[in-house]
Amino acid sequence: MRKDEAGRIHFKIVFYGPSLGGKTTALRWLYGGVEGLRKGDFTSIEDETNRTLFFDYVPMSAGGRVIFDVFTVAGQKRHKHQRKVVLKGVDGIIFVADSDPEQKEENVDSFEELKLFLGDSLGREIPIVIMLNKRDLPNRMSREEMLDSLGLGDNIPIYETIAIQGVGVKRSFQAIAREVVLKRMYK
Amino acid sequence: MSDPKSFDKILSEIIKSTKGIKKVILVDKTGLTIAHVSKLSPYPVDVDSIGAIASAVFCASEEQGKNLDIGELQMVTSEFNGGKIFASSCGKGVLCVVTEPDINIGLVRLVMKKSGAVLEEELAKFLSATAEAPIGERDLDNEDLKAALSELERV
Repeated sequence: MRKDEAGRIHFKIVFYGPSLGGKTTALRWLYGGVEGLRKGDFTSIEDETNRTLFFDYVPMSAGGRVIFDVFTVAGQKRHKHQRKVVLKGVDGIIFVADSDPEQKEENVDSFEELKLFLGDSLGREIPIVIMLNKRDLPNRMSREEMLDSLGLGDNIPIYETIAIQGVGVKRSFQAIAREVVLKRMYK
Repeated sequence: MSDPKSFDKILSEIIKSTKGIKKVILVDKTGLTIAHVSKLSPYPVDVDSIGAIASAVFCASEEQGKNLDIGELQMVTSEFNGGKIFASSCGKGVLCVVTEPDINIGLVRLVMKKSGAVLEEELAKFLSATAEAPIGERDLDNEDLKAALSELERV
């Protein structure tokens, strides 16, 4: 949590996960599809094929004096150092895992990298919510298979989502936003 | 406790220091815009977005320096046909100055170096005051946080 000069409280939330998993799609859906949150401009550093090169960023406000600065990272492996930069000062993580069986290893690698960057603070000081995305794929992995491969139990919030349709995205965001606020209130 | 308005004063001194500076932004290294001052412009600019990019670009260059083991980053300069952007470190923050294309580069660098030292001190005070807010202030924060929680439920 940080404050700006006007005394507004800012929380930084980062969508993390493997390449083409749906991070930007989810953020775009939040930006365009969710009424009730006041939003700033959508900033994106992407290549000519619309793949994220560094990050996407949207500030979202709830209650006027509380702002969620929401970022995505570039998922491709070569952008590891950019991801480390985007994670600076993060208050909450939404990990977007891809349900495509061919992306199983990518999910694991990305999650391992996240654990490496954030260490013991992940899940303790920094809450995390998991989005199991692309649940509309006919050959999707089962929820159990995905959680097993990531080494996760049911002790953290997990949402099955279809980012392209907005299914589950708002609930995932509400969950992480609530977690970071409560973490601050009862610190 | 640091007076947040002290940033405005320092940033205003920078913008007035030489002709051709259009915008001065102070961001922290997480991408949060802490303060900014601008000369009047007919074009609306999203300062939060500029701040987030400035911070990320500066931090990415720092990371590059670490990977190449070439020491501490002093300044990042981006030159465009229509202007220049300078970014320099000031402790836990990044000072970003946007100028006209034909600016006196040496003078801008000097002003940024001088102001950077003052900003570093003010920023350290401001950030520690934020982290250790007195009880009264924390109560106010909690009211804001409760309001945010209610609003999140209504979304």
